[in-house]
Amino acid sequence: MADLSVNLCGVKLKNPVIAASGTFGFGREFDELYDIGRLGGVSTKGLTLEPRAGNPTPRIAEARGVILNAVGLQNPGVGHFIENDLAWLKGKGTAVIANVAGKTLEDYAGICARLDGLVDMIELNISCPNVKSGGMAFGIRPESVEEVTRAAKSALSATPLMVKLSPNAEDIRANARAAEKGGADALSLVNTFTGLAIDIERRKPILANVTGGVSGAGIRPIAVRMVYEAAHAVQIPVVGMGGITCAEDAVEFLMAGAVAVQVGTANFTDPYACPKIIEGLGGWCDAHGVKRAAELTGALRLS
Amino acid sequence: MKDYRAEILSDEQIAQGVYELVLRLPGEVKVRAGQFASVGVRGHLLRRPFAICKAEGERISLCFQVRGEGTRNLASMGAGESLQVLMPLGNGFFVERDEKRVALVGGGVGIFPMIAALREYAPAKEVFAYIGFRNKEAVCGLEEFERAARLKAVTDDGSYGEKKNAVQAFEEDLRAGIRPDVVLSCGPLPMLRALKEVLEREKLPGFASLEERMGCGIGACLVCVCDLTDGQHARVCKDGPVFPIGDVVL
Repeated sequence: MADLSVNLCGVKLKNPVIAASGTFGFGREFDELYDIGRLGGVSTKGLTLEPRAGNPTPRIAEARGVILNAVGLQNPGVGHFIENDLAWLKGKGTAVIANVAGKTLEDYAGICARLDGLVDMIELNISCPNVKSGGMAFGIRPESVEEVTRAAKSALSATPLMVKLSPNAEDIRANARAAEKGGADALSLVNTFTGLAIDIERRKPILANVTGGVSGAGIRPIAVRMVYEAAHAVQIPVVGMGGITCAEDAVEFLMAGAVAVQVGTANFTDPYACPKIIEGLGGWCDAHGVKRAAELTGALRLS
Repeated sequence: MKDYRAEILSDEQIAQGVYELVLRLPGEVKVRAGQFASVGVRGHLLRRPFAICKAEGERISLCFQVRGEGTRNLASMGAGESLQVLMPLGNGFFVERDEKRVALVGGGVGIFPMIAALREYAPAKEVFAYIGFRNKEAVCGLEEFERAARLKAVTDDGSYGEKKNAVQAFEEDLRAGIRPDVVLSCGPLPMLRALKEVLEREKLPGFASLEERMGCGIGACLVCVCDLTDGQHARVCKDGPVFPIGDVVL
């Protein structure tokens, strides 16, 4: 059996499959279906300093090959997470990645300070498209990407910082480099693409928020391209995501340059998607004579 | 809660645009009235949540209205094909031991969780059912109520039963002195709002089963939330779909 473990900026993951933020809560519900300790990591529901109520419903829609969501960062606040969920999640034996968002630079620094040393990694959400102040304003242009990364990094001494990039960017390479310059230890991408789905009978948007973030199988080739571009623009490790449904999709992201992957929307289609991808990845490596999954990172041949 | 591979025994239209899927699970699964199943649809990323209407041994039936591509796809499936069903999900209805008289108020496809409730509570309890449809083409699922409950079936246009809605039919009985100990309901929002008003006025306890577009179906993604009257939020899939009607903002 191939060795699936990977090293993500000093954090050892037992395999490269991480449950993506927003689709997995804090892991408790999926743990009723399978032991989430089998996962390489769990990226928590996006946390903010104060609790947030989120957007009105409907918050989800489906279009061919993709879904749109506009949950709007509903969460109980970082304090509630630390008190009620963190110890349980750490006890599961999976890498705990706290996904954090804010409105201001001070918010980002403040929430990072609260979590420093408590979690395995921080994932800086500067790319939520569904709230006016969900951070995407920071995630579009390289200057602000660098600024918010620096603010977060300055509040951290013990926990590595991963910056989650928005695909709604002018130039993903420039934003990747900006995050690296700001002190990011790793990057993750892509968050969702801003989209709109219309109920043509009612002539109204399906989502109460009008627009939402597009994810799912249909965005995969765009995400793979962006991961490839970002991974080749920086020295720090990259975590790839966007439409991963099966082990072969995960292999594609690794070959494009990712050290690990995140699985989001697929958890809705098949609640066992993550463990199936982990199992499938082992099988794929064995069938292809790959001894260590880490060998796949950047294995894309261009000539 | 488990994700079962279920074989389709039949998939038939039972009213205009409404289908009943009869499935065989790998074994018997205990289901409470009001719980639901999240059904995988081939070629679609989101599952579709449907109330579990009947559960007998390893057989269950799910009824649904064709609303879009996903449900159209499900309606076109046939016996022998299989589906993934994640179930049982949600909390189900609550009736106390000493609540002997149960009223069921259902509107449109909201009748299906009412069938599950009827099967759970009759004949141990005296069941009164008030079921409303848009018109006679939409009428379905009444046979069991005719046998096991005191039924008033009505339509908005009077093409089947009297011309009124389910809540009006319920109020009529209240005025005639037929007072239940608890009311269980499922249906369109305007119906639930009207019922909530009546129950508040009459100081009767009641529960409503809510419908919402869902993501994961198990409480992780916070897609299907509703507002509670105390200012908190609840997940329809995990904390519901059944709520004390006075606790939710409709």
